[in-house]
Amino acid sequence: MNNVLDDQLDELYGYIEERCLWQFFSRSWDRQENIDGVLDQAARLLNGKGPARETPMDNLFYADAKILVADLRERFPWLEDAGEEEIRQLCDGLKGRLVDVVITRSKNRELNHHLY
Amino acid sequence: MPMVLLECDKDIPERQRHIFLKTPEDDVRECLPIANVPTIPGSLSERGCAFCGAKLVIGGVLKDTIQMIHGPVGCAYDTWHTKRYPSDNGHFPLKYVWSTDMKEQHIVFGGEKRLEQSIHEAFDEMPDVKRMIVYTTCPTALIGDDVKAVVKKVMKERPDVDIFTVECPGFSGVSQSKGHHVLNIGWINEKVGTAEKEITSEYTINFIGDYNIQGDTFLLQKYWDRLGIQVISHFTGNGTYDDLRCMHQAKLNVVNCARSAGYIANELKKRHGIPRLDIDTWGFNYMAEGIRKVCAFFGIEERGEELIADEYAKWKPQLDWYKERLLGKKMAIWTGGPRLWHWTKSVEDDMGIEVVAMSSKFGHEEDFEKVVARGREGTYYIDDANELEFFEIIDLVKPDVIFTGPRVGELVKKLHIPYINGHAYHNGPYMGFEGFVNMARDIYNATHNPLAYLAGQDIRDPTPLVMPERLREVA
Repeated sequence: MNNVLDDQLDELYGYIEERCLWQFFSRSWDRQENIDGVLDQAARLLNGKGPARETPMDNLFYADAKILVADLRERFPWLEDAGEEEIRQLCDGLKGRLVDVVITRSKNRELNHHLY
Repeated sequence: MPMVLLECDKDIPERQRHIFLKTPEDDVRECLPIANVPTIPGSLSERGCAFCGAKLVIGGVLKDTIQMIHGPVGCAYDTWHTKRYPSDNGHFPLKYVWSTDMKEQHIVFGGEKRLEQSIHEAFDEMPDVKRMIVYTTCPTALIGDDVKAVVKKVMKERPDVDIFTVECPGFSGVSQSKGHHVLNIGWINEKVGTAEKEITSEYTINFIGDYNIQGDTFLLQKYWDRLGIQVISHFTGNGTYDDLRCMHQAKLNVVNCARSAGYIANELKKRHGIPRLDIDTWGFNYMAEGIRKVCAFFGIEERGEELIADEYAKWKPQLDWYKERLLGKKMAIWTGGPRLWHWTKSVEDDMGIEVVAMSSKFGHEEDFEKVVARGREGTYYIDDANELEFFEIIDLVKPDVIFTGPRVGELVKKLHIPYINGHAYHNGPYMGFEGFVNMARDIYNATHNPLAYLAGQDIRDPTPLVMPERLREVA
């Protein structure tokens, strides 16, 4: 990943870290599900594609992604010029960063308890 | 060094693992205050008990349910009406308290007959009420009273009543948090799915983790009504027992307090496939975001935008008036857990206030992940703080106002620092747009009231303090 993309990723991650409650759900599998679900929907919206709305969970991820994308576009105008490949790289990078921080390296000792 | 050993803790150095100072130099993800663990001996904790978490926080809010507390009378009194949750049927939860009033003879010979008699007496005295929650307490759990057997017997004799049992004595967990968990899991196991209600809208939600503090639920209900959304159940602000039995009928769980009620939202997702949407309801920006998300889920975005525009037009000028006068004020939040992360950015963004210290009584590490992500650098994040730590932190950060409960509030008042009730509010509701203006007004009144200054003045002092300009203006 080049430096520009790295900086862009930092900006997007910084916003998500501070703003989004879905990254901090109770268990690691909930967090993984949310990270994948919301960012997949966000990638579709950023690429101008219609969201997936087949299931209740699709609708949930769409609801979170729609507001997220609107906020990101407002704060980071450079997103308008990003192509499909760049958006894919950014969203994959965000997924990796979020998984690393809130799952893999998280100090939360309840994350992998098998019960709620 | 981001984990801090305060001077007052030098004899209990274990406390260092509970106190975090966020600095730009450190990777905050490498440090997280340890939480939801037993209080260290020697630390004068401000925590409540597990029974309190079930009764005072969740069950006791219900507006149609007798709260039968099987234990000494103090357990009942100490978990009654301190939370200020009104109801639209004459404030039933605030008017009445029930207890089996266990005495020494019942401890010695067993309290089951006493419980049975008390349940019958309560239903006989209140013939219109047909729902009850029975709670065990420390003594009745220790002597082994079989509460569920008694409840089963009564329900057989009275087929028109329904009773739920919460077996969560005060000692069963490290804090109130255990009580939240026991009630959540017990309810989903035993009661959800045992009743059905009429569906009147294609948009249905459970609103979870809002306890109608000074009318929060009433205020938010206006929004749901205007949006055409049917709230199947309120868990548990102004809620009813039978509505909570119908939680499986909702299409979406909207969660405010993820700490006290995240469990039931998780279980509803797992068992009934109902998605869980977490939102913040304190603050203009957050509330608007929450409404937008709920509306996006149902595809009714236009209704949401109209509501938000109307509310902003009505309340934003008032908020801005306060913001101008609160800019740069320093605030400490010493409450239960979630209000730390709900409030720290909302008061910063919407009121211009800096949150300089936060302490949680019963938060888990998940709550600290959230609050550290949202909170400022230079701010202290503390788990289960004790009184001496509060004193030392006050000296370090010098807050202009402290949001906390009445117990710590009394301590704070003696230091002549304004305190606002962070659990039950001073003049709420605080949720929603109108509510956040109320909160701003309470902070303005607290920080501009000359009383705290005057109380600190010794009239015999030959060199009296000079009243600050901002206080002279309003005095």
